Amino acid sequence: MTFGLGSLSWEQRRKLTGLLFVLPTVLFVTVFFIIPLAMTVFMSFHDWPLIGEQSWIGTTNYTELANDRQFLKSLDFTFRYTLFVTPPIFILGFILASLVRHQIRFIGIYRTIFFLPVVIGLGVSSLIWVWMLDQRVGIFNKMLLDLDLIAKPQLFLAKPATAMNVIILSVVWKTVGFTMILLLAGLQSIPDELYESADVDGAGYFRKLFYITLPLMRRTIALALILSVIGSVLAFDQFYIITRGGPRNSTISIVYWIFNNSFTYWKMGYGSAMSIVLLGILVALSSIQYYVLRERV
Amino acid sequence: MTPRRIIFAVMIMALCMGALPLSAQDDGVSMTMWVRNIGDQVQELVDAWNDRGGSQIQLTVIPPNEFVTKMGAAIAAGESPDIASIDLIYAPAFAAAGQLLDITDWVDALPYADDLLPAHSELGTYEGRKYAVPFLIEGSFIIYNKGLFEAAGLDPETPPTTWDEMLEAARAITAIDDETYGYYFAGACAGCNAFTYLPFIWASGGDVLSDDYNAATIASDPIVREALEYYRTMWEEGLIPESASIDDGSSFVSAFGTGTIGMAGTGAFGINTYRNDHPDLELGAFHIPGKEGGASSFGGGDVIAIGSGTQHPQEAWAFLEWMMSDETQLEHYAARNRTTVRVSMLENEYSQDDPLVLTAASALAVGKSPYSLVYNDLFNDPNGPWLEMIQIAILDGDIEGALQLGQDRFTQIIEG
Repeated sequence: MTFGLGSLSWEQRRKLTGLLFVLPTVLFVTVFFIIPLAMTVFMSFHDWPLIGEQSWIGTTNYTELANDRQFLKSLDFTFRYTLFVTPPIFILGFILASLVRHQIRFIGIYRTIFFLPVVIGLGVSSLIWVWMLDQRVGIFNKMLLDLDLIAKPQLFLAKPATAMNVIILSVVWKTVGFTMILLLAGLQSIPDELYESADVDGAGYFRKLFYITLPLMRRTIALALILSVIGSVLAFDQFYIITRGGPRNSTISIVYWIFNNSFTYWKMGYGSAMSIVLLGILVALSSIQYYVLRERV
Repeated sequence: MTPRRIIFAVMIMALCMGALPLSAQDDGVSMTMWVRNIGDQVQELVDAWNDRGGSQIQLTVIPPNEFVTKMGAAIAAGESPDIASIDLIYAPAFAAAGQLLDITDWVDALPYADDLLPAHSELGTYEGRKYAVPFLIEGSFIIYNKGLFEAAGLDPETPPTTWDEMLEAARAITAIDDETYGYYFAGACAGCNAFTYLPFIWASGGDVLSDDYNAATIASDPIVREALEYYRTMWEEGLIPESASIDDGSSFVSAFGTGTIGMAGTGAFGINTYRNDHPDLELGAFHIPGKEGGASSFGGGDVIAIGSGTQHPQEAWAFLEWMMSDETQLEHYAARNRTTVRVSMLENEYSQDDPLVLTAASALAVGKSPYSLVYNDLFNDPNGPWLEMIQIAILDGDIEGALQLGQDRFTQIIEG
């Protein structure tokens, strides 16, 4: 069967075959990333209400960002949140990966249990946490009261610090299984012979950790950290559902503020400008992380 | 017949049977209608309309906080409903954006056009043209628990008429026991506080916006500060339960129903809810008082409009006209303790013996509704300046900071 390609040389056929293989991906990326990105850039130079007429306003949306108190506050909050949520996810993920690394009895069940929260949608898990945090029927207050750790039910979402802490707790619970799986793959790719040699040389746990495990997992760690940081910078659902940005607007993440401007205040152009700035920040952050954690020859 | 053929035959039969009701429905036009979730009144009304035969309405209920967002997104996507029941304060914004059908001629031709509630009709009007008519009528007032008044040594038949009298009543009720509180407000609900807290300011002669709604008067009007101090006093003295600070509106109605709250702001929607769900409560109602007396109310609720993209304007208008008719107003509004959309019918054969319904209806006489294209951004947004100002002043006690923040953010939003 030639499909009319008989006149093509072997080299041309090879190139065409390669092109056909990547075509679905190219189409997917074009339709779901390149075109929306171009559209967002285009919109960001307009006064673009959700409903009504649009008009070209040049870079006004971008210059207004500098005077948007809440935009700067949300950026600050999002970075602080990322800074606080990333280490526990990574450290706990690493500990769990180490625990489920070896083939012991029922290991599949343990891995499944740790991974289970990951398969729940973030919106659903946030609703579960709203219920668990409730002062009347929530399980947290019930447990703390039964253990005599508190005298009366606590309003966890009433104060900015506690609201932030419970959000971090919920996100760690929700996402740590994913980091565990990534790190587990990295751990399992390290040949056992290296550890056996280290054992023969009398290396202890920490020496093996710092001289074998972590250096050989550099790529996996980079991937886990980059994904975790991107996920944290783009956090939205948990704040929208659990705290609704409160108390006193202290938990409005940057994506929440973009959502508010685009869909609550109907300022799609302004929301687009913020999205482009956020994209730039994410590219910069990921580049820095990748550079720091790159393979050194 | 092979098992495969049997399954195939059963599937064909099931498809044919399923298609029968659809064919029957095709005799009439099918329209979509959106409403925010504020009780079952609209479902009853739509059911009654559908039972008449002819055009049918498919009702979609949207969570109140998300109505504007979803409606805006649906319009942008070209999927707006044929009929929309809109929180009346958003009507000007939707009309200004050209998303509502101009129904001026139809409304003016009604024999009772001048009888429609004026505040709601005004908000359904944009640049002299009519885009919406009154639909759900809510005037805010204070509901109180007569049993707790009596237990606190207060006269249950003489409700408070000033801020001080309310404060004294709240103190006496709170003193009953550790589980009982004098007053309740939803401390994390922006819209609830526009509905039940703004009238305290209006009734005292103050306002947070200028008469033309184009400037903020938060920092310059002394009544605003006094109103914040008033609620702050109740909060500081523990007359309001601590859980109110995180109530985003989900307990706005139910908190009073527990029977441990002396007084709380509400609207006509509360009357049936409390009576049906808590028949043991002995209820009273009074208008939201001013500092030294007087009264005010937030003229809230919904107006109903036809989407400009509808394919069935005649049928949609037929529903609106049926809704406003004498019979519907009497049998589906008045008979169910709901406030009518017609002024001349506010007092009717059903309301005369019901002091709560009369209070709800008469609240509209002292009612006010801000006319602003940025109402949502100012008052209803959970992250907007109104709620942030209330929380900082009342819950944190920083009244000076709250006034400044409110003034600045209101001004910023109004000036665009």
